[in-house]
Amino acid sequence: MTEEKNRCVVTGLGMICAIGNSVEESWKNVLASVSGIKHTKTVDTENCYATLAAEVNCDTLDDIDAPEEKDRASKLCLKAAKEALADASLAKGNDDPRMSVIIGSCVGGAVSIEHYYKNGKNKEDILKMPIAPIASQVAEFAGAGGIVTNVGNACAAGTISVAYACDLIRAGKADVVLAGGADSFASIPYSGFLSLHALDENGCSPFNRCTGITLGEGAGVVVVESYAHAKARGAKVYCEVLGAGVTTDAHHITAPREDGLCQIEAIERAITNSGVSKKEIGYVNGHGTGTAKNDNAEFLSLHKVFDGENDILSASSTKAMTGHCLGAAGAIEAVFSIKALTTNTVLPTLGYTEEDKEKLKEKAGKIEFVQNVPHEKELTAVMSNSFAFGGNNASIIFSKNAGDVKVSSSKPNIAITGLGLVNPLGHTKDAYIAAVKADSKPTETSIHSTIETSEYDELGIKMAFYRKLDNFSQLQVVTGMRALKDAKLSVTEENAKDIGNIVGTSEGALGSTYDFEELIGEKGNAKGSAFKFPNTVYNAAGGYLSICSGLKGYSVTVTSGPVSGLTSIAYSMNVIKEGQEKIMLATGNDENIPILDNLFNELGYKAKSVAAPYSGADGFVLGDASTSLVLEDDANAKERGATVYAHILGYGNGRKNVRFGQLSGTEEALEKAIADALADSGVKADEIDVIYGFANGMKVVDDIEKTVLSKCFGEKPVIAIKERVGEGRAGTATLQVAHAALMLHGDIESDNAYVFSNGSVSRKTVESSGLKKALVISYALGGSYTAVVLGK
Amino acid sequence: MEKSEVQAKLKEFFMSNLGVDGDILQYDTPLFGDEVGLDSVDSLEIISFVDDEYGVSMTGLKKETFLSIDTIADYIVANA
Repeated sequence: MTEEKNRCVVTGLGMICAIGNSVEESWKNVLASVSGIKHTKTVDTENCYATLAAEVNCDTLDDIDAPEEKDRASKLCLKAAKEALADASLAKGNDDPRMSVIIGSCVGGAVSIEHYYKNGKNKEDILKMPIAPIASQVAEFAGAGGIVTNVGNACAAGTISVAYACDLIRAGKADVVLAGGADSFASIPYSGFLSLHALDENGCSPFNRCTGITLGEGAGVVVVESYAHAKARGAKVYCEVLGAGVTTDAHHITAPREDGLCQIEAIERAITNSGVSKKEIGYVNGHGTGTAKNDNAEFLSLHKVFDGENDILSASSTKAMTGHCLGAAGAIEAVFSIKALTTNTVLPTLGYTEEDKEKLKEKAGKIEFVQNVPHEKELTAVMSNSFAFGGNNASIIFSKNAGDVKVSSSKPNIAITGLGLVNPLGHTKDAYIAAVKADSKPTETSIHSTIETSEYDELGIKMAFYRKLDNFSQLQVVTGMRALKDAKLSVTEENAKDIGNIVGTSEGALGSTYDFEELIGEKGNAKGSAFKFPNTVYNAAGGYLSICSGLKGYSVTVTSGPVSGLTSIAYSMNVIKEGQEKIMLATGNDENIPILDNLFNELGYKAKSVAAPYSGADGFVLGDASTSLVLEDDANAKERGATVYAHILGYGNGRKNVRFGQLSGTEEALEKAIADALADSGVKADEIDVIYGFANGMKVVDDIEKTVLSKCFGEKPVIAIKERVGEGRAGTATLQVAHAALMLHGDIESDNAYVFSNGSVSRKTVESSGLKKALVISYALGGSYTAVVLGK
Repeated sequence: MEKSEVQAKLKEFFMSNLGVDGDILQYDTPLFGDEVGLDSVDSLEIISFVDDEYGVSMTGLKKETFLSIDTIADYIVANA
């Protein structure tokens, strides 16, 4: 049986969707086979062949703190979070470090993006546009002070969030996690799917007519808690959350593999990780969007996994009732799965006529695809699956029993064995090292990198592939491929599923999403670009990297701010430690294209002239950066004969909730992140030789760093790489780690650091020889910090 | 309508809307080959463009019609 310390239980549920503004209302309607699909009330459908959607009907979404600062997706999420917290009988925390928030989303602030474009480009809309604020605002509401981040994996995001929550609890990093997903129905996704001809004009008919999807909207939040914590406070427990499987197709950016190979792998992993037999699973809540491509692959996967091992399996898609809620789907469906399990009910897919039922028999085989009405069934375990753009696949299992989840107790020694760097200083490791040696500095307040065709030629990437990538994805593919090459790692049929990647990003695909909005805002929703739409999902970059390299392992995109470039490393370390993967690519990726340059300018974040860190300037030099690191256990590296640049010894997090957009007053959270990282690494403060900080020139940001680092490390040297590369957000956070590794390894022989002494700032050269331990720190608006400790 | 005009316009569309390198793309370059790698998403865009630009519907046509800029141009000229 699962060891007590690894048991995760569900203690609270919250949701809002087209068929209900609460779990109770939604569940009542699910049991009554109510469909929330109707003619859309909110988006313009002129000249559009499909006009249906499953929209939320709720007029109390603004009954929250500062509604004017929040996008619709956040409001939906807050409603579900409030319900879940109350359901769990949990009081709000006081920046509780043991309470974390993980929220999945696909299109984030799509409503605000449209509002900005069509309503006078008001800067108040800008901070509502990305996915980043959603988890931050939920954390602010709940008083959560642990890990606060979003998962940007499109339609699989909601399922991955719940899996990630369990990972955190089992790693000892959290006691309670609000895990969920949220997405709004908006012009951008509507027009996007319309341009792909993926919408069914008659309403989706999953596992049946399969002629397209219908979009929905909403949010779901599941309170995942450690069993020990729940027991100690006498919490009501719904069920256990067992294991999960996350994989990637490495096939096509929108279409799933027809052979279902990687869907099957995700499902098999969930089953193995849960320690249950296939027979125990009584019901599968499928992804079932209603497209022929998805549903056929899914029929195949379920048969391949369960035929011959489970003759009494029931399955369905609840999307015929709720529509496809994108990033919220996995979370909403987690709620339905948990309710189904605990009430011994299997849910139906709506829409079967008598003729349909006949046709279904052949496709269904021995699996009972529940039609039209729910029915009672004694259940022990329930599975929920979600498959997304980018080829991401996620499968998770909920159970009445504790299962047999095994978590490795080994403490791997994580090594950095490969680097891929693109930033304004250069597009290769060597170019970067040379630029540091030459002490290059920016001469403008906005600098960026452009990938040249020759770089693709060098990497053997064909025009047929790279022409489909937007700038954001181009950066990620190039550095990812370079990192693999630098690590002398070939991805083969045999090892593909042992290699995963976590992409950390601050704004993700916001640039491409805004670009898409410009087109439809001008020409109407019927004129969306099918070519551009796939690039509007934050995980497209990771998806293209997977397609290009062939890697098929655990792949997630995390997004909350610059700190995401360190979150990707922490998450990757966890995935390796758990034994899910042997090798992980951890990256930070953020771009600087004219659209983003404009937005940062309007926010007043860009400096008026080139500003150096700690100079007390009003803003920063805007840059870009893509940094990919290959991480693996030291033993694995040695076995492969790989070069080890440095080791990552541990990490820590801190959060003090402030409004998203603010950072002032959060010093104690940075202090905590540092203290936790040192404790996690078994390293003392005085053993740290050099710190790689996040200072970017903007006074409010730099002051926090200066205050805390002076307090914690006195006059130890601080290297501020952004004085050379500008503020590249998550890209520069990971670059800080790469830079540290290059110094520990001696590739960068020395650097010019800052020293704080009695409030004044001076410069000092740091020689790399003799460096043994380094600390890297980063931040996110809303008050999150992560610190990572590196060793030689 | 001159076929050469249509060919030129199509090539321009491929370059600006589908990111295809103009040095590689000739009027007879096989679109489904390794070089251009036309897929279902590209086809949707082409169909949309041809409809908007020439009022010619290419929905549901066989793959053969989309083999190259040449074959697409032939179809447009024949059906405009």
